[in-house]
Amino acid sequence: MPVTSYLALGAVLFSIGLYGVLTKRNAVLVLFSIELMLNAANINLVAFSKYGLYANQTGQVFTLFTITIAAAEAAVGIAILFALYRNRNTTNADEFDSMKG
Amino acid sequence: MALSLSGESIAFFVLSMMAIGGGIMMINSTRVVHMVLALAFSLLSIAGIYVLLHAEFLAVVQVLIYTGAISILMLFGIMLTKHKVDEEDGWSGRLGHSLLSFLGVGALFAIVMGVIYRTPFAGKVAATKSFTVEALGKSVFKQYVIPFELTSILLLVALVGAVILAKKEADS
Amino acid sequence: MSDIAWLIPLFPLLAFLLLTMGARRFSDGVASLIASGAVLISAGLSVGVLIEKVSMVAPTTLRWRWLSLGDQSISFGVEVNQLNALMLVVVSVVSLLVHIYARGYMAGDRRVPAFYAYLSLFTFSMLGLVLSPNLLQLYVFWELVGVCSFLLIGFWYFKPEAKRAARKAFILTRIGDVGLFIAVILIFWQVGSFDWGPIFTAVEAGKVAPEMITLIALLIFVGAVGKSGQFPLHSWLPDAMEGPTPVSALIHAATMVAAGVYLVARAFPIFEASDIALDTVTYVGAFTAIFAASVGLVQHDIKRVLAWSTVSQLGYMMLALGSSGYVAGVFHLTTHASFKALLFLGAGAVITALHHEQDIRQMGGLWKTQRVVGWLFLLGCLAIAGIPPFSGFFSKEEILTAAWLDGRIDVFILGVITAFLTAFYMFRLFFLVFMGGKKAKVEETRVPRIMIWPIIVLALPTVGAGFLAWLPEHGFSHWLTEGTGIAAGPEGESPGWLPLLTVLISVVGIGLAWLRYGRGRVNSAQVEAEPAKEFSIHGLLSHAYYVDDLYRWVFVKPYRWISLALTWLDRYVIAGLVKGIGLLFQNLGRIGSTMQNGQAQTYALVSLLGLVILIMGLSAGRWFG
Repeated sequence: MPVTSYLALGAVLFSIGLYGVLTKRNAVLVLFSIELMLNAANINLVAFSKYGLYANQTGQVFTLFTITIAAAEAAVGIAILFALYRNRNTTNADEFDSMKG
Repeated sequence: MALSLSGESIAFFVLSMMAIGGGIMMINSTRVVHMVLALAFSLLSIAGIYVLLHAEFLAVVQVLIYTGAISILMLFGIMLTKHKVDEEDGWSGRLGHSLLSFLGVGALFAIVMGVIYRTPFAGKVAATKSFTVEALGKSVFKQYVIPFELTSILLLVALVGAVILAKKEADS
Repeated sequence: MSDIAWLIPLFPLLAFLLLTMGARRFSDGVASLIASGAVLISAGLSVGVLIEKVSMVAPTTLRWRWLSLGDQSISFGVEVNQLNALMLVVVSVVSLLVHIYARGYMAGDRRVPAFYAYLSLFTFSMLGLVLSPNLLQLYVFWELVGVCSFLLIGFWYFKPEAKRAARKAFILTRIGDVGLFIAVILIFWQVGSFDWGPIFTAVEAGKVAPEMITLIALLIFVGAVGKSGQFPLHSWLPDAMEGPTPVSALIHAATMVAAGVYLVARAFPIFEASDIALDTVTYVGAFTAIFAASVGLVQHDIKRVLAWSTVSQLGYMMLALGSSGYVAGVFHLTTHASFKALLFLGAGAVITALHHEQDIRQMGGLWKTQRVVGWLFLLGCLAIAGIPPFSGFFSKEEILTAAWLDGRIDVFILGVITAFLTAFYMFRLFFLVFMGGKKAKVEETRVPRIMIWPIIVLALPTVGAGFLAWLPEHGFSHWLTEGTGIAAGPEGESPGWLPLLTVLISVVGIGLAWLRYGRGRVNSAQVEAEPAKEFSIHGLLSHAYYVDDLYRWVFVKPYRWISLALTWLDRYVIAGLVKGIGLLFQNLGRIGSTMQNGQAQTYALVSLLGLVILIMGLSAGRWFG
């Protein structure tokens, strides 16, 4: 299996995630999509730990760190979502519109 | 790319179809619980991909953290917030936005794919025999010990932050 | 003394700055004291400089570097020679007297400090113009006096005529200024210097082609024509009488309008080098002289009569210069400054006495009530008419002598006729104003003493300046031309019958005026009936040969039509385009602002699109190349 297949898989998943982030109204779903994007990136890292000019296990170490941080991100994200939900009583991303001048 | 029907390629094909299908189902389903399941499915398939890439430890971690912990966390998120019959009325008011998003994402995808298929990658394969959990552990606890410790601090901070954010405010 | 000549213009400048900054704080009296004091110092210094120049004729030059252009350097500074020492005294003394006089004339006006500020600025500019050692600096001051003239003509800007007159003066003199400016540029191109010295050397050494000299001289003369109100740019000067009378006396009789004559005199070596230029100057001057004098015969406004007379006398000076009568021209410039300022100030006194009545048909019989003004005015009239021993006689005789000796018989005859006309219209004015029955409907007021004294002071040179011509061994002309290389006038002995002729002709003019207007024969009805006759010689004259109407139909109206067309073009085509572009961007902005709706997803989308465009842009060559 050439490395390009794995990279292409990563790209496909990343694009699906990005599309979800951009279009989904439900903020929870936006969080899901972000997770998917992170996983897509992880696939790339792992793929390059097997294939490539200087292939070694460092890619896996990186992925390990990424997963850890993604976990923390998910926790904080859910917490923010709760806070927002409590204040606005909705989880629709398009109703969070206080970010303007 | 001559597609040789080795076991690895069949497995890759199946797993990647599962991962992509899970992703698409997540995007398209109308009910939130289905979405969580689809996401978990997709993440599980990715764990399979890791196995194919000789990253068994990562595969286990993926199953534990993503398909396990994070999915459960998301379920909590869904359960604790109210949801209307949900989704897909989104197309009506935000057609332009969706269309533009689709175009943008499509363009980015095309660019990335173009880059991937135009770049000549070295055809070397690592000595996967040496990809042991032991070696990984040594690497993490010796070479990358400082980032590892920093990660623990980050997790602590995230924990505290999440608690503060999610805690009900005293007056409300 | 000449070393500190650069101080002379500075005092009026200081006064101007002080008055401009403190215009609201100074009372009228303080303002006039400041301005008059400054001019008094300048006048004192000027007289000192002139006295010094009498014995020491070498020009004093002070200069500082102003700009460096490559290896050329342009300097500014002052140069004092006989000509501008004389001019300095004329300008500063007349200015001083007018400053004092205006205290009386302008009493009660609401903007006296502003008036004095403008007057000071004018004095500064005029003195600076006179002292300029090079053409560029002269041009700067030349424009400055133009601005002051504009400001002062339009001083009563709430009167529409004054506004129109100010505009007209500005535009017409501007036409001349453009000519002068081109001349300045040409000179710098040909000679590589703005300084008079190098210019004259280059001209004399034949470094400049004769055609080029002619062109330059003619363009300089165009500038002089604009400033000095010569035909065909004369018509602003009579209109400029809308300004306050002291201004008319200072700017539009004695000094600024003489700047054109001064310029020609200053640049005289250039003119001498070109016969065509000299001929042009002569004939334009002669024509203007007789033309304006004939128009002056029938005017009804006391100030307009004097204005046309000024135009005519300026033409006389040009005629003199053109006939190589350098000394005669400058001499007449000096004497004219004194007697014309006297006449204007006298007219101002009459106007004040009659509560700002300016129509001579409403005047009469002032001799009995305004005896002092009457005597002074009579002196002025005698001087301008050329009756000995008053100054006008001498200078006019010199001019006619120059024309005769230069072999210009035609011009000589024109000059003699002009002298006759001058005597006639001046005494027409005098008889109508001072003789005959009283016609004024209003009670006369007493003329303030502060307005009488300046006139009396002016009467001294009016009577006495002529005797400069009788200094032993032509002292005046020797002094004026010494070291300059300019011939004092055409060679030859003046014919002995010439003074007799001029006196005779003037007396005849005065006599005719007496017959027509002086014996009390003429009644107001007769004079008032005069303008009714259109299409007669009289109508032709009282409309100044319809020159203004001609200009209106040839220049102003077509220009206005073109402007209308352009306005339409501007309003509907260009403004449409501009508005269209404005609308385009307004709508773009509106789209942009709807994008800023506070939603993170929109922002993310915009970032994504931006990223895609960026990548495409950066790698466009690679993808498509």
